[in-house]
Amino acid sequence: MEQPKPDEDKELVSRTQDGDAGAFDELVVKYTPRLYGLIYNMTSNHEDTNDLLQDVFSKAYKSIRGFRGKSSFYTWIHSIAVNMTLNFLKKRGRRYHLSLDDMDASVQNDKEFLELTATSSPVREADLSELQRRLNEAMMKLSDEHRAVVTMFHIQGMPHAEISKILRVSEGTVRSRLFYANRQLQNYLEEFRKNPVS
Amino acid sequence: MNQFNEEDIGKLLRLKRYEQPPPAYFDNFLHEFHRRQRNELLKQPLWRICLQRAQDFMFRLNVPGLASYPAAVTAVLVCAAVLSLKIYTGPGKANVASQNQTPVVATALPDTAWSLSAPTAASDLGRRPLRTVNYGSQTHRVATPPRYVLDSTPVSYEAAFRF
Repeated sequence: MEQPKPDEDKELVSRTQDGDAGAFDELVVKYTPRLYGLIYNMTSNHEDTNDLLQDVFSKAYKSIRGFRGKSSFYTWIHSIAVNMTLNFLKKRGRRYHLSLDDMDASVQNDKEFLELTATSSPVREADLSELQRRLNEAMMKLSDEHRAVVTMFHIQGMPHAEISKILRVSEGTVRSRLFYANRQLQNYLEEFRKNPVS
Repeated sequence: MNQFNEEDIGKLLRLKRYEQPPPAYFDNFLHEFHRRQRNELLKQPLWRICLQRAQDFMFRLNVPGLASYPAAVTAVLVCAAVLSLKIYTGPGKANVASQNQTPVVATALPDTAWSLSAPTAASDLGRRPLRTVNYGSQTHRVATPPRYVLDSTPVSYEAAFRF
């Protein structure tokens, strides 16, 4: 996923701080798809994602005057989104139900999708949609912190350094969480491959 | 049999990017955001709206030193609190001090001991003490001028020094 340009953001932030609400609207439009993906993959629920995303932008708007530009707006807004989502997940606990969005039809043209289905792999052996369902279930079995790292690294394509800034942990912690989460996911999916009907 | 490796997991996870909300969702999001903001504003009490407006105004003016405003208010409040405490506790302490002094003098010196007549003229200098002061119960002697009483024996009767 393409990273937004920091200079453009700086100008929009500065205009918002000067009272230009339209500039903040531009930031909302720009960051909505990216933040939606982040929150959605952490909650696995469309309705919760929508509410949280509204709250994230509302909080950002209220506190944007306190934003002094020590980090980029990108990092700042992602930190707000991750922290609010983690707090929400703590409150929600185990009471959740999956409310997943459909896969976009353009996935058929994705290079990785074609690779996965064409080459000889365990993915080819299993039904891909079923495998995705299992993957979502496996994701929900991870702890909230591990799921956050997996989402940011694998799905959003963020580098380790950026994730460590957002989560305010060391890069080593990010790497170790990622390693552990990958192992967990591998085990869950392997179990499914061996017993596809379970 | 092949096993899932880390690369497969990564590729599968990347496909989750294609899980998208309905197409109109992002178009309506901003409109929904504005609607919620207005609702939130209407729910707020009037004083908070006024306070927010005032803050906005101050922020636009960019008043220098605004950052230290809360600190200054706190300092003024603390000073006011300290001063008010001093004012109310000051006179109380003075009363306590004077009350403590008075009984010591009054009990230590009965009226009869304060006669202005010469001590030699006292008719009875026998066993009765001049002052009924219980020194054992006092930590300090009362600061009264020393009184000298001449011995009843004339000086000339004293034994002469012999060298």
